[in-house]
Amino acid sequence: MDAPIISIQHVTKRFPGVVALEDVTLDVRAGELHAICGENGAGKSTLMKILSGVLTEYDGELLLAGKPVRFKGTRDAESAGVSIIHQELNLVEQLSAAANIFLGREIRGWFVFRDDRAMEQAAARLLKELECEIDPRQTAGSLRVGDQQLIEIAKALSLQSDILIMDEPTSALTEAEVSRLYRVIERLRKRGVTILYISHKMDEVFHLADRITVLRDGRLVKTLDAKATSPRETTHLMVGREIEAVDFGGERQAGEVLLKIQNLSLPWPGHARGWRLKDVSFELRRGEVLGIAGLMGAGRTELLECLFGAAVEPPQGRIELLGKPVLFRHPREACAAGIALVTEDRKRLGLFPAMNVGENISICTLQRTGVAGFISRGRERREASETVKRLNVKTAGLASAITSLSGGNQQKCILGRWLQTEPRVLLLDDPTRGVDVGAKAELYRLIDALVRPASAVGNVLRGVPTGGDVPARVSAVGNALRGVPAGGIGVIMTSSELPELLTVCDRILVLSEGRLTAAFHRSEATEHKIMEAAMLGSRKAS
Amino acid sequence: MTDSASALPAGLQWLLRLVRTKELALFFSILVVIGTTAALDSSHAYVRFPGRVLKDNCRRLAPLGILALGATVVIIAGGIDLSLGSVAALSGTLCASLILALGGERFDTDAGVGAGVLSVAIGASLLLGLIIGTLHTWMITSLELPPFIVTLGSLVGLRSFARALCYYMTGRFRDSSSEDLPFSDPLLEPLNNDVWISMLLMVVLAAVTWLVLSRTVLGRHLYALGGNEQAARLSGVRTENIKWFAYSFSAICASLAGVIYIAENGAKPSTQAGGYELTAIAAAVVGGCSLQGGIGTIPGTILGAIFLRAIVDAVARIIKTASDIYEGMIVGIVVVLAVTFAQLRQFQRSGRQLFPGLLGLAAIPCLALACSLVMLITIGTGTGAVAGVATLALLVIWKAAEMRRTSRVV
Repeated sequence: MDAPIISIQHVTKRFPGVVALEDVTLDVRAGELHAICGENGAGKSTLMKILSGVLTEYDGELLLAGKPVRFKGTRDAESAGVSIIHQELNLVEQLSAAANIFLGREIRGWFVFRDDRAMEQAAARLLKELECEIDPRQTAGSLRVGDQQLIEIAKALSLQSDILIMDEPTSALTEAEVSRLYRVIERLRKRGVTILYISHKMDEVFHLADRITVLRDGRLVKTLDAKATSPRETTHLMVGREIEAVDFGGERQAGEVLLKIQNLSLPWPGHARGWRLKDVSFELRRGEVLGIAGLMGAGRTELLECLFGAAVEPPQGRIELLGKPVLFRHPREACAAGIALVTEDRKRLGLFPAMNVGENISICTLQRTGVAGFISRGRERREASETVKRLNVKTAGLASAITSLSGGNQQKCILGRWLQTEPRVLLLDDPTRGVDVGAKAELYRLIDALVRPASAVGNVLRGVPTGGDVPARVSAVGNALRGVPAGGIGVIMTSSELPELLTVCDRILVLSEGRLTAAFHRSEATEHKIMEAAMLGSRKAS
Repeated sequence: MTDSASALPAGLQWLLRLVRTKELALFFSILVVIGTTAALDSSHAYVRFPGRVLKDNCRRLAPLGILALGATVVIIAGGIDLSLGSVAALSGTLCASLILALGGERFDTDAGVGAGVLSVAIGASLLLGLIIGTLHTWMITSLELPPFIVTLGSLVGLRSFARALCYYMTGRFRDSSSEDLPFSDPLLEPLNNDVWISMLLMVVLAAVTWLVLSRTVLGRHLYALGGNEQAARLSGVRTENIKWFAYSFSAICASLAGVIYIAENGAKPSTQAGGYELTAIAAAVVGGCSLQGGIGTIPGTILGAIFLRAIVDAVARIIKTASDIYEGMIVGIVVVLAVTFAQLRQFQRSGRQLFPGLLGLAAIPCLALACSLVMLITIGTGTGAVAGVATLALLVIWKAAEMRRTSRVV
């Protein structure tokens, strides 16, 4: 067999507070479709960023076709024939499709002027090859996500890349777009392009891949032949034992109705769809965890924002909190009414990077602790350190920089921030995004403890697995209940990972293009059913 | 906090926190500048009349420090206020105009217009600050205009408005229209003669601002707003109200400085406090404020203002003839150098280069040329040539060292 086209040798990458990759060694054969699987935070994206020159500082070595290389930037990687299609697409929305494809390598015409015609023709040729029926003069921002992705692929083709990295390419696609993508991938492989395909969706991986590499917690677990393994084995390797060990004891007891939402709509002026949310109605009871599933752009985040008074436009419809109609115009009012929101994008919407751990935790409860506008620093510190202890946050102290903590510990700080406000309703928007597996399991346990009435703690504790630091976990769960209403609270949680919702939630609602398309009880929900409901609206549209 | 730190006595800890390394470095820089001036000044003013020198400098420092306090609060809140100088000029002009309008016969006489008229005039100018701050905040939060644009508009517009106001008021209440409104008043006189009053004003205002920033909920919310506006809003912070406080506070500071300026020699709206908004921002930045928001302290800003004042005074005492020509040049260089030095440690830690790639290469002759020109016009042709060549040689060596270091890594 030939020398591997890509050889990753003992690559280690450390971020402040976390080791994202530890001693990863991996060979990719020329022309194969190599899937990289792993949970969020397993290190897939970090590895691909190193391969594509986005991250330039790491330990270890990278060989392309046997030759050691060290990219100084994405341009180096592109000229070496490596292109990446990021999950969050990298297009200049104001420029045309053709201009995006040739960005940075514009075709020159007479003198110093661009030759737009030549670029448009070349772009049209490339796009046709990809079954993409769009005008290359259309601006990238006006296109559907699936078409935008094809522009990125066309860009890679125009670069003559022989290595293409695709980072979760199907996460925002409709079924029709997914099957078109499969055909495009087939065509690329016939040209001899080596594809690294990042995904955690087993059906895709087994449909496409020749070989599968599983990463977990920054380490390479195993590289498998797709034919010689099964989705079951791969999932098992991906998840490890930690999550399977989570056992929530008996059924939770749902109490009275906390939140009642009737015909909630959120307009979206200037968009073809016209609304972000349309006629959404549901109830949340005390003591239950309600999951919200849906594809990217289905309106999960918008729904939580409406309930928290943080929506871009005032929502229409009726929201009742404990039987009383409420209308929050500012998050402050929602806080005061006992609603808390842990946002999806921790870095952008949650953290104060210039503040320390203690200040990040206390920001919502400063008024309560102080006198006449002054902060009671003793009380602030006391409450924050109690939260740190209660949620088992691993930090050197309250004065350390929040940015020195790992993703999971940052998330615990933000959750602690909101638990200090003693909420009745806790809204969690994709709370385990960018959180490592161990911390994920801890978050699940914590959520479970929060919704249970205090008397049920015993059951929870019996469910705690014996692995790891048991006394610490037990006290963490016990302490978490302090300061929470006796009957437990209600939790609404969204997630982009269906298995997570199936593990944690009592009921799961499915959103598709802003509409509620299904509601399942935990016992009847399956990944397949949820996905079907999540695609309902988009299939109709396409 | 580590155990060793908490083992220290509370008083010492407090002192340590007050004078963190950045502020300490600034403090020593100030001492170095003063020492250098004392040594190089041929008339030895620092040694012979320290009292007079101190008084002269405090007269300039107090209003600048007050402006810098306003700039700091806005910068910490993640905004920028470019209008401080013009607001000071307008408020000063309004104050003088009201004294003229209400004082009648007694305007600019030894008897003076009396405490009543004076307090109305000063109160009105502070109120004007509040009005300007409110309008700024409204445009920034409701019209969603960038703070830079809003306050740039005020910077240009309010200066002209101040001149027009002076022109109108002098035409209305005096014999002829004029761009200046010089006057003196026995009750305003002490504010000019006795610099300790304005210094006291600055120190008290600094202490209050420091207390607000470091000890109150409002202060924490200012830092939160500047650090991450979205997260602050989603944490229940009324971001519009916090911005309202920040911009109003800075405009009121500017109004107060404006009153101090007119105490000296009446209103001169065309020149008064011209360009001081940038000096105030420079003081805040030298003092450790980040223009990204969320970072900065009041002790830092005050030290920054003192540092800039010391530099300007050093230029005046060492160069002597027409020193004000060189003032801006040297202050500009010093501000950029001070902020660069603050970032040097970060560069060292991350191994980044000062002169990376082609851009770095292009910057070297530009820097050498700039250095040689500065030396040429301040000292002489020979020095200019030598300085240019020396800078070029030094930077080329630096660049070569950087290139060697990176090539070893690859």
